[in-house]
Amino acid sequence: MKNPSEEKKYMLDISQKEIEELRTTIRATSKKMTAEYIERMRKADKNRPEAMRYFDEIADFEKREKELLAAKESGKKVIGYMCLFAPIELILAADAIPVRVNSGWYDASKLGDRVVPVEVCPMVRSTIGAKMIGLSPYLELSDALISGLTCDGMTKLSEILSDYKPVWAMAVPRLKDSTQSLSFWREEMKTLMKQIEALTGNKITRSKLKSAIELTQRATKAFRRLQEIRKGNPVIMGRDAMLVNQAYMWDDIKRWTEKTEALCEALEERARQKSWACSPDTPRVMVTGTPMIWPDNWKVPSIIEEANPQGLLVADELCSSERLLYDPVGVDEWTMDDMLNAIAERYLMASTCPCFTSEDGNKDRVNWILNKVKEWKVNGVIYYVVRGCMLYAMEYMRVKKVLDRMSVPVYYLDTEYTREDVGPLKTRVEAFLEMLTARVDI
Amino acid sequence: MEEPPRKDDVEYWRWQEYRRVFSEKKWHNKDVITAGIDVGSVGSKAAIMIDGEVYAWGVMRTGSNSPDSAKKVLNWAMEGTGLRLEDIKYIVGTGYGRVNVPMANKAITEIACHAKGANYIWGPSVRTVLDVGGQDIKAIRCDETGRVVSFLMNDKCAAGTGRGMEVFADLLKIPIEKIGEVSLNVEEEPPPVSCTCVAFAKTEAMSLLRKGWSKEKVLAAYTHAMAIRMSNLVKRVGLEREFVITGGQSKNIGIVSRIEKILGVKCLPMPNWRENGLDPMVAGAIGAALFAKALYEKEQKG
Repeated sequence: MKNPSEEKKYMLDISQKEIEELRTTIRATSKKMTAEYIERMRKADKNRPEAMRYFDEIADFEKREKELLAAKESGKKVIGYMCLFAPIELILAADAIPVRVNSGWYDASKLGDRVVPVEVCPMVRSTIGAKMIGLSPYLELSDALISGLTCDGMTKLSEILSDYKPVWAMAVPRLKDSTQSLSFWREEMKTLMKQIEALTGNKITRSKLKSAIELTQRATKAFRRLQEIRKGNPVIMGRDAMLVNQAYMWDDIKRWTEKTEALCEALEERARQKSWACSPDTPRVMVTGTPMIWPDNWKVPSIIEEANPQGLLVADELCSSERLLYDPVGVDEWTMDDMLNAIAERYLMASTCPCFTSEDGNKDRVNWILNKVKEWKVNGVIYYVVRGCMLYAMEYMRVKKVLDRMSVPVYYLDTEYTREDVGPLKTRVEAFLEMLTARVDI
Repeated sequence: MEEPPRKDDVEYWRWQEYRRVFSEKKWHNKDVITAGIDVGSVGSKAAIMIDGEVYAWGVMRTGSNSPDSAKKVLNWAMEGTGLRLEDIKYIVGTGYGRVNVPMANKAITEIACHAKGANYIWGPSVRTVLDVGGQDIKAIRCDETGRVVSFLMNDKCAAGTGRGMEVFADLLKIPIEKIGEVSLNVEEEPPPVSCTCVAFAKTEAMSLLRKGWSKEKVLAAYTHAMAIRMSNLVKRVGLEREFVITGGQSKNIGIVSRIEKILGVKCLPMPNWRENGLDPMVAGAIGAALFAKALYEKEQKG
């Protein structure tokens, strides 16, 4: 454990007064934004299923914050993670609670500018800013953080956050297809397992790990059921589905699974009644690129689904949404060794993160995008990048070339953690959607 | 061409507002009269069409209020034609202020409208359109019907846009309409300025003037840099002939000739807009009026 009085490596000292002022203002804005986005989502679909209400509620951070506080009082540990490389099953098996701590607050990124230059990824700056003023309940309540060293931003972020909390960095091998990568990664996992056991004081036993894997497998099943529904005519708006997916990052997983199953039930019934969320002719859009974190990052999904002409998000390839849960941990024999191998494989091999490099040009991600385009009948792809997000920006040309070959229009939408560029973004998205519909002939 | 009196000769950036009516054309109530209103960040344009043919247009500066600007420019285009608002069957709003055009039946982006308008002005051979607006530039690829195939827009920065040119005209005290010619009035093309940032334009220009550069040379260096920025956008979207430039900067010969040189391609000839030709600055409004006609007819069919 770190001694809090130890000199900070990166973080600046801010007066308690300033911290409190900033936290109060930004929290108020955030609460307003959250309520506003939920309201807009409700309006977008007049027959929005009642089952969505649960996710509207969990979208307000306070509900979960209270639960986490209570859990901590009863002796449970909360373990935060910043990348999908953190093996959730190991956290669950130690009776700890996983929460993702990346920040989606625009205002907080401006605070992060005091510590790192504006050229740095705004999600990283925003997470730093959130920590500076204690904005994120998930980050604050975390007893330790797991950081996958994927992009440069994440690598340094873990160092910066270690000014406050124990950070367990996991070196992610940037080459998937070599035997030493997987064995190295397995070792990283085993080290992490010991760290989790030490923090929680709970031994990760075979039976506990088995139940944890079974729990996330059930979550994956519910998750896949939801995405499967989205292949058909629209019974759920993309923003609603995205909120459901994203809630997995901070909700209780067992409850999330039940609520998602209940939602799917309602949606399947809706499909039988042909009560569509929007016209089945609405152009079907997929987004891929930089993660979009609730609440401020709802900017682009909202622009797409509120545009004129309207677009419908039917799928995404984002680590904040559909990349979260698509792949189950596949276990052959329920031995400790086999389970650990299965977890290691699932987190490394199934990942389509652009941090990997290979001669075939990250074919895993490219193929997955193509597969989604086909299966979800996508009419156009929006490639979303926030400035400073180098890996996604660089992989654009690779993805574009493949989509061009399939004659699937793709549009590069670059933005920042700001609300000021909504006007020009709207023009760009609407022009793209006009292009997809091309419904006016002269 | 009717022009209002020039209000203040000291405002070098102030370009001429004007209107045009093809008075040899006559309209009847049975005609499909449509209009397009393009409220840009700097200029507002309205075009009126009779059965899909341009009848009148007006170009004005955009005021602080989009609905007002839209109303004013449409009224101006209609002036003396006998047309009233209720004679117009369908109106499409476009441009940055498109959602704030109160009389519009529908809004369509300026990207789709410029491609459609360019197709109308120059014909079906147009494949690439560079629209240089007041605060942004767009490179658009389209098919033979004027339908957008792909496009790119510059980032939020105003460098290399009409507004940037206005700032420079004012700084160097050269009337905006002359700025193209003046920029070509150099013996040798100077290297481009390193920074096209509008906020730093003054510092940049002053330091060059202090170095003993002539106004012409400074302007040439700035125009050169803007032309490079615009050409890069065209290269990125992929240049396919025929190529045309729309928007206010299509009238800046300094920009057009430099882009042609950088890209190694000639633009289709500029219509003689001062006399009988169509004005490429109004391409967006024309495109919008064409969409208005199509939408009206679709509506009539049910």
